[in-house]
Amino acid sequence: MTLLHLALGLALLAPIAAALAVGLRVVLGDGRPSEGAVARVIGAGLVLSIVGGLGILAAFSGLGVPPVHGDVEFGDWLRIADFVIPAVIRVDHISVTIALFSSVLTALIARFSRTYLHKEPGFIRFFTLLGVFATGTQLVALAGALELFFAGWELIGISSAFFIGFFHERDEPVRSSIRAFATYRLSDAGLLIATVATFELLGSARFSALGGAAGLPAGQATTIALLFLLSAMGKSAQLPFSGWLPRAMEGPTPSSALFYGAVSIHAGLFLLLRVWPVFEVSPVARAVGVAVGLATAFYAAAVVRVHTDAKGALAHATLAQVGLILAEICLGWTTLALVHLVCHAFLRLGQYLKAPNTIHDSHREGHAHPHPGWLDRASPRLAARLYAASLHRLRLDDLIDTIFAPVLALAHALDRADRWVRRTVSFEEPRR
Amino acid sequence: MSAHGAPVSHDPIDRAVARAHGVLPDQGPIGVFVHHNTLHAFQHRPFHEGVQEGAALAGARPYLSLDEFRRALAAGRIADADLRHEITRALGTRGDDAVLPGLTRATLWHALMTADGDTPAHDAHGLAFAVEAGTAPESHDLPRWRAALARVARGPAMPAPAPAAPRRHRDVLVALGADDTDVAVHGELVRLGSGFLDHGQAAVALPGRERGFLSAVAALYAAGAAPPRACRGVEVAMRRVAAEGRTARQVITAALDALGVSGDAIEPWLGATALALAGWAGMFARLERHPSDHPGGPPTTLEDFLAVRLLLEQHALAAACRAAGLPLAWPALTAHMPPPAPEPAPLTASRLWHVSKAAGLTADAVAELDEATLAHLWQECAACTGLARRRIFLEAYEQTYRRAVLDAVAVRRALPPSLPEGRPRAQFVFCIDEREESIRRAIEEQSPGFVTYGAAGFFGVAIDYQGLYDREPAAYCPVVVTPGHEVYEQPVYTALSWHAVRKQLRDLWLAWMRASGAASRTLTGGASLSFLLGPIAAVRTVARVVAPRASLRFSDRVKATLAPRPATKLSTVRLGVEAAPADRGKPVGFSLQEAVDRVTATLTNIGLTTGFAPVVVFLGHGSTSLNNPHESAHDCGACGGRRGGANARLFADMANRPDVREGVRQRGIDIPADTWFVGALHDTADDSVRYYDLDALPPALVPRFEDAYGALECARRENALERCRRFDDAPLTLDPDAALSHVEARSAHLAQPRPEYGHCTNAICIVGRRALTRGLHLDRRAFLVSYDPGPDTTYVVLERILAAVGPVGAGISLEYYFSAVDNERFGCGTKLPHNVTGLLGVMNGHQGDLRTGLPLQMVELHEPMRLLLIVDASPEALLAVAGRQAEVAELVVNQWVQLVSMHPETGALMVFEDGGFVPYTPDPALLPVVERSREWHQRTRAFVAPALVRRALPASVVGPGHHGAAGATPAFA
Repeated sequence: MTLLHLALGLALLAPIAAALAVGLRVVLGDGRPSEGAVARVIGAGLVLSIVGGLGILAAFSGLGVPPVHGDVEFGDWLRIADFVIPAVIRVDHISVTIALFSSVLTALIARFSRTYLHKEPGFIRFFTLLGVFATGTQLVALAGALELFFAGWELIGISSAFFIGFFHERDEPVRSSIRAFATYRLSDAGLLIATVATFELLGSARFSALGGAAGLPAGQATTIALLFLLSAMGKSAQLPFSGWLPRAMEGPTPSSALFYGAVSIHAGLFLLLRVWPVFEVSPVARAVGVAVGLATAFYAAAVVRVHTDAKGALAHATLAQVGLILAEICLGWTTLALVHLVCHAFLRLGQYLKAPNTIHDSHREGHAHPHPGWLDRASPRLAARLYAASLHRLRLDDLIDTIFAPVLALAHALDRADRWVRRTVSFEEPRR
Repeated sequence: MSAHGAPVSHDPIDRAVARAHGVLPDQGPIGVFVHHNTLHAFQHRPFHEGVQEGAALAGARPYLSLDEFRRALAAGRIADADLRHEITRALGTRGDDAVLPGLTRATLWHALMTADGDTPAHDAHGLAFAVEAGTAPESHDLPRWRAALARVARGPAMPAPAPAAPRRHRDVLVALGADDTDVAVHGELVRLGSGFLDHGQAAVALPGRERGFLSAVAALYAAGAAPPRACRGVEVAMRRVAAEGRTARQVITAALDALGVSGDAIEPWLGATALALAGWAGMFARLERHPSDHPGGPPTTLEDFLAVRLLLEQHALAAACRAAGLPLAWPALTAHMPPPAPEPAPLTASRLWHVSKAAGLTADAVAELDEATLAHLWQECAACTGLARRRIFLEAYEQTYRRAVLDAVAVRRALPPSLPEGRPRAQFVFCIDEREESIRRAIEEQSPGFVTYGAAGFFGVAIDYQGLYDREPAAYCPVVVTPGHEVYEQPVYTALSWHAVRKQLRDLWLAWMRASGAASRTLTGGASLSFLLGPIAAVRTVARVVAPRASLRFSDRVKATLAPRPATKLSTVRLGVEAAPADRGKPVGFSLQEAVDRVTATLTNIGLTTGFAPVVVFLGHGSTSLNNPHESAHDCGACGGRRGGANARLFADMANRPDVREGVRQRGIDIPADTWFVGALHDTADDSVRYYDLDALPPALVPRFEDAYGALECARRENALERCRRFDDAPLTLDPDAALSHVEARSAHLAQPRPEYGHCTNAICIVGRRALTRGLHLDRRAFLVSYDPGPDTTYVVLERILAAVGPVGAGISLEYYFSAVDNERFGCGTKLPHNVTGLLGVMNGHQGDLRTGLPLQMVELHEPMRLLLIVDASPEALLAVAGRQAEVAELVVNQWVQLVSMHPETGALMVFEDGGFVPYTPDPALLPVVERSREWHQRTRAFVAPALVRRALPASVVGPGHHGAAGATPAFA
């Protein structure tokens, strides 16, 4: 047990431990804990996580100790006979950057939300989820192998879905939450399959072992890379999965800022940075990634031009940059991408947090009056089509609904059958 | 009532559209928020009928829920005696009829009001479980519960209330479990509508919007836009509309035909359809009636909106009905509406349990109730509907409060009026706003020589005002007034050159802010600005979140040092010109005569005609907060939702001019030469006070001004402290300085949804001499309007005051009432997910309805009651004024306000009730007395009952034998 292990443990586990403490207090204690107590406990967890992150940074840059690089072992996570899932952490410039960056932003949002959510009935839920999310991001940032990464990935996904559906008394947030969740499920299958495939083909799902992908047949490497890309596309709302992103604005403003302005939306990009060795050997996957990224970037930039709501416009502005960064990564400019990612997240976070100030600002600054552009003059008809396509966001949700209509029909049929069975065997009408 | 005032048409579509204009939310773009009665369209009806009908149309609650009223009863906020009194008043002699042996109707109603729970039907089994588990009231007498359950099972059943008839196709579909067509239709409408109405958020607006909504949307589809999946086929219809140039009316008629809506069904069906997306439809209707709300905006009509809506809805419904195997024609579809489920037995049994308890029936007697008796009982219970009960509850809720206030006012009136001996030290004229009650009290507590007045915060000067950096003039006066003058803020001569430089710098800076904000959302701009601004944004965001007050102060200080604001003056008067050449239609500044008129009128209104202090401060008010789309709702209602500083400054400037004073003197008001007027602005969010034109202060008066300034410095700290007690996140133990820092931080905080509580505490309006209320702790609940009935023998002043204050006060009170009783429907719900759209308003999420009314965070403390309007005038005077002012008469006669007359000579109280004045005899109870108001309110966070504050009263007035020292519980109820 070294200081580095302690720092890593703090960074990873302090937030979720705080969330667990709050959760246990709610379940076992009498009455509701006070807002102050909840915010303090979770806040302490998040600050400890930052302290841990600073410790890792110190170790990484060799302050007082020999610089640490590469895998740090925590023993086995799971061992069944000779099947081992290692609990391994990876310390390098990417993981340290992302870990510190996300823990600072999460703590900042926690501070913001303590005021913002005062007296909100879901206050405790919000902060507990924040703790879960923080551990998720730390796992994703620091994981040394795909299994651990996947665990963090899922924590981010589930907390994201819960934040979108935060105001669950109304229909629309719940619908949006389910849509985001369903998108995540579909794309997460990509990560899961890719993880298993990596394990099978390379004998290990450690990131440090991914260099072995160079030895794989091109088809296999490309398939794995495409599966990773699928997963990243879902999490980062790339085309054609972009439909859930504007819907994610149903949540409270600080969670929108943290997830879709700063951290969660970039998680897919981070995955690609981690599994870069696989992409490096697969020009096809990289070409697909560049195409998807650029297409998303142009799509989102077009949507922003017509978008009339403050948060939705920011969501698409974010998406445009995320698409660009995806293209940068797939072109191999990983350092540029990392810097772009961090700078962009900071810029967007500030804009999100000030989104409700739009009217105040427009009184002061005035606003631009739309003028007809060159396209409007050259071809009004084409301009109208472009406007409609952007306004309707290419009807992406409808497209996905159409594709999945048979699945839904099957589900409805099963549901009806289930109700019929329950009606026949019991007297009570099951509630809708 | 048609909002257009047009004659009633024979065309049902005309009637439905006209009706929709009246019923839809009448809230303009949110940048200027003006409080108004949410159900203004029903104000011509008696209050209870109006709210019940209006609420039914909006699908909202007209009153608080029974549970909320019962909690108020349990807490003592409603006195049981008042509840019984109101039941008797509602039932009249019928209340004494026996319903069961030993149970009068009044007792039955009382039992049903206090006991019968609001358990929803699906929790019936939960109730039964709770009773057996011993956690419900019924558990105290289980034998009777079991007897009731058994008896209920034998019947007869409670007559079911009439089922809610479906109003639109979609209601039937949803009741049958089919897809909700509104999801797709509303999503599409919101996107198109917000693109059409956008005030400048998007870079590109809906193409062709200058031709109107229907035409632009049809053209969009004609150009090849893809239809929503749920509305397939609509693109064909849209293309036809575009090709044939159909009007909205033709489209509506065709859609009604296609949906099988005809004859008498048209009006209610179309009305309900207009209300289905009330926020957006309301904005279209509002902008149709008030195009000036969006200058340069596209031509907007409600009919266009309805036409687009019906086109989409028609196709969505056709698809949904086809999929569900239902007919599309409206009469055929209604037949498929499923019948309502009968009430579950445990709920009926619970009611029987409570009634039999009130009647004193034993378990055996319950078991043996015969069929006829039970049927009779159910009939009686059915007559005591939830609405009837809540109506009585509201009356009792108001009555309990009214008694407390009237008793206190009567007690205060019986004490000698507190006039300063000799010349006052300083006089302060505030807006009538109830938020200023506390700061006025805090000033008066400091010395008998400090006197305060209340006047509508535009101080009688209605102007189109343009501040130094405003883009264009805006009306600074009540919304019902159209200003006849323009006033500009201009730099003084010596500051002209600096002003030119500063303005250029400022314009550059703002242009950069705007451009960089817009560019950061584009593809390339976003990328480059990320690298450029990202690191700066990180530092800024952290500073603004972690240290909001300090960081804002720092940046203000930097700005003030680098680029100080130039000194300015107002273009107050047109020298020597009576009929000025019009500049853009309106004269700039007032002529001498006009200025004299205004100064005289305002001073007469508030009764300040003699005994001027050396310094008279006029304080307008406004509110500063960040991240608050509803910021303007906290500004001055009397200034049309703007800040009243300019009006106060202008008034003081006029009243200080020797020529104006000479004119005023000829009208009988002698302002001494050693009196100086000072204009100021009180910020109700951060409790700052900003003074204007102090450089003109005569040197001899400097000590006098500093005296007044010191009083305000103390008072604003006390005021901050009194406000802080209502904020749960401010400790009760703060001292005044810490309280001031706390409210400053609130106002500067990006994450603060409650920068202030606004009009949340409004309940009373007292029109009369301040001497009658001075020293009375009214807990920031009273609009205080200064009025001296003595010289006003023809009631002209009273008429002027009531014509302005009645509608404004009622508008605020009723908007708060409705937003508080049903925050989701009449209000705009919690602020947390609000998303500013099109610079017009807020919606939830990315394509929700435009939310109108007040957010939860503004009304959460509010006690929804009708405004208690107490006027220092005889009933004859009030009737005379009502006879001359139709809107006041409407509010009073229909009881949208509670009017009380306090006779100027005798002090007799008369309450206007059921069409006439009814005498009220105050309870001669003793009022608690405290030395300073802080001792009274600082003990609790709840509302406090009225009390006397000794320091604000003449020294001899309150002593032993008068009123006792303060008891232990100041909390109201």
